[in-house]
Amino acid sequence: MLVLVFKRILTAIPVLWIVASLTFVLVRVVPGGPFDDERNLPKEIIANLEAKYHLDRPVSEQYVLYLERLCRGDLGVSYKYVNRTVNDILADAFPVSCKLGLLGLALAVVAGVPLGALAAVRRGTFLDYLSMFTSTAGISVPTFVIGALLIYVFGIWLKVLPVALWETPYHMVLPAVTLAFGPTAYLARLTRASVLETLEKDWVRTARTKGLSGFATIVKHVLRNALVPVVTVLGPLAAILVTGSFVVEYIYAIPGMGRFFITAVMNRDYDLIMGTTLLFAILLIFTNMLVDITYQILDPRMRVEG
Amino acid sequence: MNLGNEPPSLDWHATTDSTSFDVIANIMVGLTSYGDDLAIEPCLASSWDILDGGSRYVFHLRDDIYWSDGKPVTAFDFQDSWRRLVDPATGASYAYMLYDVENGLKINNGEIGDPSMLGAHALDERTFEVRLAKPVAYFLSLTAVAPTFPVRRDVIEKHGDRWTEPENIVTNGPFLLDAWQHEYKIELKANPRFFSGAPELSRVKMFMVPEQSTAFLLYENNELDYVDNRSFSTSDVERYARSPEYRNFPLLRCSYIAFNVQKAPFTDARVRRAFAMAIDKTVFPRILRRRERPLTSWIPEGLTGYAPDSGPPFDPAAAGRLLDQAGFKDRSKFPRVELLYPNREDAKLVVESVQAQLKANLGVSIELTNQEWKVYLARRKKDPTPLFRGAWGADYPDPETFMNLFTSVNGNNHTRWHNKLYDSLVSRAAGEQDEKRRAELYRRADRLLCRQEAPLIPAYLATQNVMVKPWAGGITFNALDVQYFRNAYVRAPGAKGGAN
Repeated sequence: MLVLVFKRILTAIPVLWIVASLTFVLVRVVPGGPFDDERNLPKEIIANLEAKYHLDRPVSEQYVLYLERLCRGDLGVSYKYVNRTVNDILADAFPVSCKLGLLGLALAVVAGVPLGALAAVRRGTFLDYLSMFTSTAGISVPTFVIGALLIYVFGIWLKVLPVALWETPYHMVLPAVTLAFGPTAYLARLTRASVLETLEKDWVRTARTKGLSGFATIVKHVLRNALVPVVTVLGPLAAILVTGSFVVEYIYAIPGMGRFFITAVMNRDYDLIMGTTLLFAILLIFTNMLVDITYQILDPRMRVEG
Repeated sequence: MNLGNEPPSLDWHATTDSTSFDVIANIMVGLTSYGDDLAIEPCLASSWDILDGGSRYVFHLRDDIYWSDGKPVTAFDFQDSWRRLVDPATGASYAYMLYDVENGLKINNGEIGDPSMLGAHALDERTFEVRLAKPVAYFLSLTAVAPTFPVRRDVIEKHGDRWTEPENIVTNGPFLLDAWQHEYKIELKANPRFFSGAPELSRVKMFMVPEQSTAFLLYENNELDYVDNRSFSTSDVERYARSPEYRNFPLLRCSYIAFNVQKAPFTDARVRRAFAMAIDKTVFPRILRRRERPLTSWIPEGLTGYAPDSGPPFDPAAAGRLLDQAGFKDRSKFPRVELLYPNREDAKLVVESVQAQLKANLGVSIELTNQEWKVYLARRKKDPTPLFRGAWGADYPDPETFMNLFTSVNGNNHTRWHNKLYDSLVSRAAGEQDEKRRAELYRRADRLLCRQEAPLIPAYLATQNVMVKPWAGGITFNALDVQYFRNAYVRAPGAKGGAN
């Protein structure tokens, strides 16, 4: 397993380099710069600002400077939030998103997997239709609608939960549920399909004929095998959830990092765009590595490769 | 209250953002301050002398003014601040506010390497002298805006970029920065040492709720005591327009439609005038529905030189005749010109109305081009389309901030319209000390701009819409869109001794 971790870290380096370079090029290709505004600044002032951030240098030199800084773990400075570095901004915002994202992910797994498994086992019954109807709705209804609906019902109508803000644990309930809605539905559908497929397998029939109880077969033999595709999607899903959702953070006024994926691009805040993208890439690589490790636990055949 | 977004910075030299100024205006004060009607009032300076025909100002500071760490505010703090503002190393966007001060421009563009050559000196602890390159009538207005507030050089040197964090910052205003949870909340607390007495509110909480409807729900749920445009959708404005909690007032922020006068057919002033006369400005408030004020002159109401008839009247018949004279009797020969606008809902409504009005009143079809904000800005700067939408907000309450925009030298004049007479009228008005003569000069320039030459069509004045809970009050607003909590109060039943 250590070999796997080591291998993954080695391959991650070129991947990150490519991501960093691509982002570097892309942000500069888009028209408009960080200092464009309704009021154009005098050219003297633009020159001073560009000099301050080294944007007056040739692009090749900026690229080298950028890579040098990256190697030191310095993601650069924000042009918009002038007194803060990208490291500062992400250090403030990521823990919030991470907390909310993990909560959302846990909710999605705890609700989605049993829901899907139940639907598969009770295939064709009212229970199956109900759970599949709910999950189709969960996938198709956009987050902002679900968020607004939850705020209306629990915040305004029943007055049991806060409408928005990020103060007490109670404030986390509605955003976490909103965040978990889509992934729950997705996981439920995936689990159902996968369990159905596994149920057809010969060895399941064998287990049954040998006298194993229905429940034991499902949990020990079917679920364990059926979970492989579910675990596969959990990697990217986790990376997406812990880096925050723009919509959820926006409607509940949560100080997470999801908003930067959108606002940093709108502001042409180059280093912040690159910082958020890189952090996302790192998390994606990390969660995929966790997925590979989980595979080995679920299915010993996958251990061969090491 | 709700700030809407994170203030990009609380360094009053580094920021240009109104969100930042909403905070800074409550934790800092300068030489002068604005009264309710934007008249200049003494603040840290108890008096001043205007000498040498308006090119030298001597400010006399009060002797009971202190920084939050207990040190007195001195003229040297102003000297440090103004030098830092023009120093190219600071990279301050508002450095141009001091371009009229002796050597201001030259220091900022690097021609003079030593910021201490700036014509702004502390003569002693209580006396601050400013020498201007030429007399500037609006100079005092600049001493009431945040970029010219004093700074503590020692604090900035000690903490570097982190000097604006609550544990480091040293300020002199009615409130102190108590806590700053980035992207979420700023808390201010009353400054017991403030020279005119501590404010009544012991605490102000400024949240950063980006989503309008969420912020408005918080207001309806009594979690916010005060909200403004940032928290207020148009449908909510209509729903609450009759409520005693609602208030609306115009801002010094003008929207306009402009021509690129170097592109046919707008090289001909008659075509531009025809367009200007074919658009009924009273339509804009009806479609935008935030009680905007139709704008018929470029200088808005409340400023020196304002005259509602500076622009041409709405007269489709006369507009049609002008277009005939310009050679477009056969309207199908009129080229399909492009009108560029950014992807904002209000801009979209306005340009669609302009398109429809031109079709109905002149028989002319134009095309609308929508671009993402920064792409729109880049395009307008590099190669403006024949028609484009623009807006301008005042930095300080003086016609200069609007009229200078269309001079030949102004980098924000994207119309490419250059007129020597206009330039000279505006430049003479800027230096004119006699208020009556100054108003007359601006009126002439405004008439030349809007009626005769028409490189732009003034459209409307934006408004601020606010809601204040019945138990709160005393918040001062001004047309520059700055909000002061100095005299604000919160009374029972929600008496928490603080305001959200």
